[in-house]
Amino acid sequence: MSYTVSSSPHITEKNNSTRRIMLDVLIALIPCVIAATVFFGYHVLINLFACAIACMGTEILTGCIIKKSFSRDSLHSSTAFDFSCFVTATILALNLPATMNVWGLNIVVGAATVFSFDTVIVCFIGSIFAIAICKMLFGGIGRNFANPACTARIFLLLTFASSFVASQTLGSFGFVASTGATWLGSQYKLTDGTTLFNLFIGNVGSSAVGETCVIAIAIGYVYLSLRKIIDWRVPLMIVAWSAVFAFLFDATIVQQLPLDKGLLNALANVMSGGLLFGSVFMATDYATSPNTFPGNCIYCFGIALLTMLIRVFAAYPEGMSFAILIMNCVVPLIDKYVYPKPFGYIGNKNKERGL
Amino acid sequence: MKALTEHLPVEVMPAPSQVSIPLVQHMGKAARPTVAVGDAVKRGQLIAERDGAIGSNVFSSVSGVVKEIDKKVTPTGSALHIVIENDGRDDGVYFEPLQNPTARQVIDRIAEAGIVGMGGAGFPTDVKLTPKNAVDTLIINAAECEPYITCDNRIMLDYTDEFLRGVRYLATALGLKKAYIGIEDNKAEAIELVSDAALFSEEETGIEVVVCALKTHYPQGAEKQMIYAVTGRKVPVGAIPSAVGVVVCNVHTALSTYYAVKEGEPLYRRIMTVTGEGIVNPKNIWVRTGTLYGDVIDFCGGLRQDRRVVKMINGGPMMGTTVSGSTVSCTKTTGCLLLLTDSEASTLSPSACINCGRCAKVCPMRLMPMYMDLYARGGDIDTAVKYGLSNCIECGCCAFVCPAKRTLVQSFRLAKKQLKGRKK
Repeated sequence: MSYTVSSSPHITEKNNSTRRIMLDVLIALIPCVIAATVFFGYHVLINLFACAIACMGTEILTGCIIKKSFSRDSLHSSTAFDFSCFVTATILALNLPATMNVWGLNIVVGAATVFSFDTVIVCFIGSIFAIAICKMLFGGIGRNFANPACTARIFLLLTFASSFVASQTLGSFGFVASTGATWLGSQYKLTDGTTLFNLFIGNVGSSAVGETCVIAIAIGYVYLSLRKIIDWRVPLMIVAWSAVFAFLFDATIVQQLPLDKGLLNALANVMSGGLLFGSVFMATDYATSPNTFPGNCIYCFGIALLTMLIRVFAAYPEGMSFAILIMNCVVPLIDKYVYPKPFGYIGNKNKERGL
Repeated sequence: MKALTEHLPVEVMPAPSQVSIPLVQHMGKAARPTVAVGDAVKRGQLIAERDGAIGSNVFSSVSGVVKEIDKKVTPTGSALHIVIENDGRDDGVYFEPLQNPTARQVIDRIAEAGIVGMGGAGFPTDVKLTPKNAVDTLIINAAECEPYITCDNRIMLDYTDEFLRGVRYLATALGLKKAYIGIEDNKAEAIELVSDAALFSEEETGIEVVVCALKTHYPQGAEKQMIYAVTGRKVPVGAIPSAVGVVVCNVHTALSTYYAVKEGEPLYRRIMTVTGEGIVNPKNIWVRTGTLYGDVIDFCGGLRQDRRVVKMINGGPMMGTTVSGSTVSCTKTTGCLLLLTDSEASTLSPSACINCGRCAKVCPMRLMPMYMDLYARGGDIDTAVKYGLSNCIECGCCAFVCPAKRTLVQSFRLAKKQLKGRKK
């Protein structure tokens, strides 16, 4: 009898696989999906379904095209079955408005949109862009230079700019339905108790349905941190730096608010827009974030700074996805120069002495 | 996983009817045979002598007749083997026992008895005990951090006194008055027993033995990590322990030193653990060098028929080497024979790296395995070296935690070989 001959180690951690990690991320996204459905209606689930199908299909198809083989084997070895495409799909769906009107194909009954064909088509376009161009063309899972969902959102935002209007909430649970205007986009940035409360529970209009509910994002964050899928310090650093820059740029320089109002403004800034969602689910993407803690410090600082610069001084009220995309491009540079010194490193001087 | 054998006292495996003794059981050049086919040899008789500065003597482990001298497979390649048929008389020839030996006498005895680092590396112990730099600390590495292996633990429990005397001989050889024993805290019984025994025997020799309970954390037994845990000193990159004044020896090396010095016994047997889900009766046993794995497995009740044994490993599951069949011989450095079943061994095929960075988080040498693997596979060895390739201790932590099941250590070993070949 002969045995398998292979290099050590001969045992590996149980219950640890790429699929398991992606499954954990999907589990962490469930509260956000629920919150989005509650506030923005069933359209969210339709979008999610459309994105999931499109992402999976695109990944299988591009994989086969790249391998130039449509055999059963190449289908089976497709990376589509590690669930990473569903993570992209879910994040993308949560980053779109509940309904969009681009070509006028929506089924409208009275004033309400019953089924939005336009949004489904936009979901398909976004998914194909995310998977085929952002992910597979750069080498598939782990090798994409930018977060696929984030890049696809920006692509859609720029392409369908006029249709990317914020959806309004339905007024579930007896809350007053929002007008659709986001806190960041409104001219008078009120920071009274009601506004802050609405921002906290997610009852605000938004062009990205998944990013409004702070509670749901917090649940996801805690789950991912406990499961050690993400580094718990990364989202915290982004949020902390963002609060600092919001206070500096928005409250102090632009609006010149007194201290107490300024702090409330910084708090509202952090809770609004895609900042929390992006810092938990998009900035922590493995492939597109640095692999060391010092590297992550630079990365988080950059995201927070760019987000607030774009929000306060640029034409777009929302800057998180742009900031993440820009910092994604800086990551290879960070990883090239910021890496740990090996255990027992003694510097070049001593090395020359022959130690 | 250690639970399979940690409570089992050491048994003596009877000498097999035939042994096949490899002439490479150590680091360095193969020993030169001093016997010819047809010669009668005794147990403990020199059959191959050390060749060069880094090398070791090899002794017969049975009494009998040399049947064959031929090249055969070892766990890491191939080497000349001397096959001796056991005549069953078990006549032995030993060296003269030493009473109150001096440092020089201990080192000479260690050299002539063929003692090498028995933790697995097999570096000649006499060379280690005569370092170029001044040494002020002796550490006995009793961490035994690899899962499954329990032979060092059993030595400390079953041969406490012999072991401690061996430690003192090693300290004597280095001219030291103090020795440290680093034990992982999952071996509470051994810590207690050795600490007590060390106190009792301190007065007669004047050498203090200090037991350090270390956190159970793989790879605590890696040399540099052990030195850091016990002394707080960091061995510089690319240097050996004596650069920071430390010599590290394995538990079994100390035990064999005791037998060589006190009883004049050359190194022809050792204690090993036979374990894994694949074996019927896991055991800790005294085994003669040159005993075939097949004979060891038979002594331990054979392989389990209700399980599928997929891997036969010489050493532990994290750093051991697999062998393809049971015709390989036990050597001075075979501390464990592990038979893993398909439910224990990792059999998943690797998928693409997702850049999660877990490998970098667990690396005890603080390297960047994901980039080392990426560049090594791409043929860019220089960039792999930049991310730490040449400092890799091959402990396997990175590959253990890898969710994509990448064969990281394998690619590092290959890249190191390529690097070595290029330097020549």
